[in-house]
Amino acid sequence: MSASSFTARRTRQLGLALVILVVVALLPFGVKDVYTLNILILMLMYAALSQSWNILGGYCGQLSLGHALYFGIGAYSSTLLYTKFGILPWFGMALGGVIAAGIAMAIGHACFRLAGHYYVIATIVIAEIGLLLFHNWDWAGAATGIELPFGRDSWVTFQFARNKLPYFYFALGFAAVTWLVTWKIENSKWGYWWRAVKDNPEAAESLGVMVFNSKMMAAAVSAFFTAVGGSFYAQFVAYIDPESVMTFQFSLLMALPAVLGGIGTLWGPALGALILIPMTELTRTFMGGSGKGIDLIVYGCLIMVIALARPDGLVGLFHRRKRSAA
Amino acid sequence: MSFSINRRNLLVGSAATLAFGAGAVRTASAQTKEVVIGALYPMSGASAQMGVDAQKAFETALAFINEKSDADLPLAGAGGLPNLGGAKVRIVYADHQGDPQKGRAEAERLITQEKVAAIVGTYQSAVAATVSQSCERYGVPFFSADNSSPSLTRRGLKFFFRAAAHDEMFSAAMFDFLDAQKKKGEKIETVALFHEDTIFGTDSANAQLKLAKERGYTVAADIKYRANSPSLTAEVQQLKAANADVLMPSSYTTDGILLLKTMNELGYKPKALLAQAAGFSEQSLYDAVGPLAEGSITRGSFSLDLAAKRPSVGKVNDAFKKLSGKDLNDNTSREFMALLLLADAINRAKSTDGEAIRAALVATDLPGEKTIMPWSKVKFDETGQNPYADPVLLQRIGNKFVTVFPAQAAIAEAVWPMNKS
Amino acid sequence: MTAAIVIQSLASGLLMGLLYGLIAVGLALIFGLMDVTNFAHGEFLMFAMYVTFFCFSFFAIDPLLASPIVAAALFVFGAVVYLGIVRFAMRARTNVGMVQIFATFGLAIVMRGLAQLLFTPDYRSIPHTWLGGKTVSMFGIYLPAPQLAGGAVSILAFAVLYVLIKKTDFGKALEATREDAGAVALVGIDKNKVFALGWGLGSALVGLAGAIMASFFYIYPDVGASFALIAYVTVALGGFGSVFGAFAGGIVVGLVEAMTAMVLPPSLKSVGIYAVYLLVVFFRPRGLFGSI
Repeated sequence: MSASSFTARRTRQLGLALVILVVVALLPFGVKDVYTLNILILMLMYAALSQSWNILGGYCGQLSLGHALYFGIGAYSSTLLYTKFGILPWFGMALGGVIAAGIAMAIGHACFRLAGHYYVIATIVIAEIGLLLFHNWDWAGAATGIELPFGRDSWVTFQFARNKLPYFYFALGFAAVTWLVTWKIENSKWGYWWRAVKDNPEAAESLGVMVFNSKMMAAAVSAFFTAVGGSFYAQFVAYIDPESVMTFQFSLLMALPAVLGGIGTLWGPALGALILIPMTELTRTFMGGSGKGIDLIVYGCLIMVIALARPDGLVGLFHRRKRSAA
Repeated sequence: MSFSINRRNLLVGSAATLAFGAGAVRTASAQTKEVVIGALYPMSGASAQMGVDAQKAFETALAFINEKSDADLPLAGAGGLPNLGGAKVRIVYADHQGDPQKGRAEAERLITQEKVAAIVGTYQSAVAATVSQSCERYGVPFFSADNSSPSLTRRGLKFFFRAAAHDEMFSAAMFDFLDAQKKKGEKIETVALFHEDTIFGTDSANAQLKLAKERGYTVAADIKYRANSPSLTAEVQQLKAANADVLMPSSYTTDGILLLKTMNELGYKPKALLAQAAGFSEQSLYDAVGPLAEGSITRGSFSLDLAAKRPSVGKVNDAFKKLSGKDLNDNTSREFMALLLLADAINRAKSTDGEAIRAALVATDLPGEKTIMPWSKVKFDETGQNPYADPVLLQRIGNKFVTVFPAQAAIAEAVWPMNKS
Repeated sequence: MTAAIVIQSLASGLLMGLLYGLIAVGLALIFGLMDVTNFAHGEFLMFAMYVTFFCFSFFAIDPLLASPIVAAALFVFGAVVYLGIVRFAMRARTNVGMVQIFATFGLAIVMRGLAQLLFTPDYRSIPHTWLGGKTVSMFGIYLPAPQLAGGAVSILAFAVLYVLIKKTDFGKALEATREDAGAVALVGIDKNKVFALGWGLGSALVGLAGAIMASFFYIYPDVGASFALIAYVTVALGGFGSVFGAFAGGIVVGLVEAMTAMVLPPSLKSVGIYAVYLLVVFFRPRGLFGSI
């Protein structure tokens, strides 16, 4: 691929992203009911979270299944600062992101040299330790959790009683920013290093130190955005407890869209979230009321089928079509 | 694929909402043929059985509301809601999987799409926190059937109602009982708390710690354990070492089973076991442990012994047993009663408007005889809590529950201690 | 804290650890053979417990007697899962690891749903078993019969497994396939057959664990979740792929769990296990006995 066609492709992708951004931003003019909006918000949130995960898990190849830790840190930072000290959630969101980034770098420093499954399990147990500590931390509400005080609708406190649109547009912006960061990274020297290491493990040796440092930065960026997502979630739900923001299930849910959509690709996480979140919500809503577990069977089967049928993710479908068209 | 059909329905639904305007006021006229109530329960996941049981309890309640009967209960006999032109009550179930976020989303769906007049739920207190908040925001009453966290009614919500007792009321009854036993000459000086690390376990233990302190009992052990642990051996060893006069567990079915089995395996026979219901109200626990639970006492909201004083208890239990194959218990009785009280309020409100139902709920003043519960009456205080929901204590004797406290409901003296050392 | 409590804790921890090892060894075997982590391992355990339960409730077969039946049933089930699902997951040319994780994760969700559909979410247990409720006590130390039997079965299973891998043709085929799956095809070993047998064997071992567990534990569709993470940590601690590592890992996990509960609040006892895992891999990145 020549440099100019690469640049052209990147410009095309940016253009496509802009078009999608505008179309999605216009959606609320047609869709007014809260249930559908709720699904759209979750979809955008998971697209963003999964994109954040993808930076470390996909591009860097560090398959973390412990991102629930960063998510929880974000949720707790903004909520604790607001309920205990009256500090606005926006500052808590930023601080949570910074804390999470710091922790991610510390974890990365210790764990990046672990291979494959040893690394995966290490990320899981570190997140589990975090979960247990929050479960037993009385000042942070322990198991009882924390409820955000119910105030007037306001962008200052980022609270809206019935109106979903502010959450929708925040989630959209969040998804757009994480996409843009990934887009930038793809073309940065980090992006080149990571691709080089992936294609040719021997190259890792010569690039060693620089790659390690770039992975540290990737961990920081990934954790920062994941924590921002956690703060958003806390504001959105207005109640958090360790079980609802820090369990292993969350770590899986963040990785899943990227894996189904296409791991280490620009569009994979968004595509995965587009399929997965409505599927989760609709199966539960329309089949979960029976108490017979049919929703679980359908949901599980779909994950299995997609994982097996499209190992390189659903984005592969588009590439192939494009290639055959061209 | 049924999937796409659902999605299309959804779009049609959203278009309809659009046409009417999102916040359309729902005023029911006398022609209303159907009143819809939302029921939010865990229908899949670790607590799915609770949702399935609740479903049976609600079906039983619907039969008493929608069909004619001679039970001495509110609405029974009318066959529908007479003030709403004989409208029938219908329930829409939704699954929250024990997740507060999903609970909130489902509550909003029930309110905006299914147009429910009220919501009843939720088993897990954490989910009740978000569901009731959503109900508050939409001005739709939330009726807590079986959440026992005391903090829920202390949040200043206008649309939150709970007819049953909360953990502090339950715990107070448990300590009243201990005081009474003491007066009879039993030696009760120390208690050991054993509770799971969830909102339920924490609230229960906090209430018990406070009461133990106030009433002069020494807390010999306060053991918090991880819910659904693979093993409780270490925990039971500590309980055994503490050897308190009363062991007070706050555990669900799974951990309750493991606790009793592990105690048996490690040769720990407590002098008395006084449980904060939950798992200790469930038939499956007693099926699993058999004689190991003999003599244990649990608090409860309900007792089948009441049938002697309140004939409707027997009728309701028969109907429920036909559906589920089980006797009514602590949870299912509360769920049954919640729906009945809610339907009665909607009937008195003569409307499905949230404010009107709320006003009717506030005005509720029902004598205990018109319920299947041991309550003295149903009347909500300004927080939405019914302070007259007197709990009972039930002892397991001959693999059956026997009411042993309070005196006015008891049919036998408590066997004390449960294990002679 | 008296000496008796410490000894009792360690004894209980050891027995629990042997059981953890037995639960985990199937996972280790499968991983060692073909680099696949089965994220439905906990659900396999759940399934084994239900099989045991139905053996008891329909045919009144005691869990101890039923254990070979359960192991056989799980053997078939494991082989079918390999042939029907995992075989296809291994064909992926890109990000094989994640495809395997999520294919088996999807399977786990389906199995939970099926259990709920077929067996209801109610909590089951086997009230009267030969072992259940019986205890051996000496010098004030109590050793529950089901866990003792579990420990014995675990040691026995590891011994048999050792012989099987080191001394039989099947074991040699396993070893050879794991060393070089491409080369074995040349000498006429059907890779798929060996892998299917490996999955069967690994699942049969979970079956044994499930049968023992069913005699003292409760059974419901989500029961596997409590054990799955411990099984993964056990395998990783011992070293992925090392059967002996799973055995040792189980014992370490059991003992660490018991000791943590003596010094920290019991609700934090898993923290000890996790911390030990992290310590071990920081110093030995391939676990205690890992080689690959």
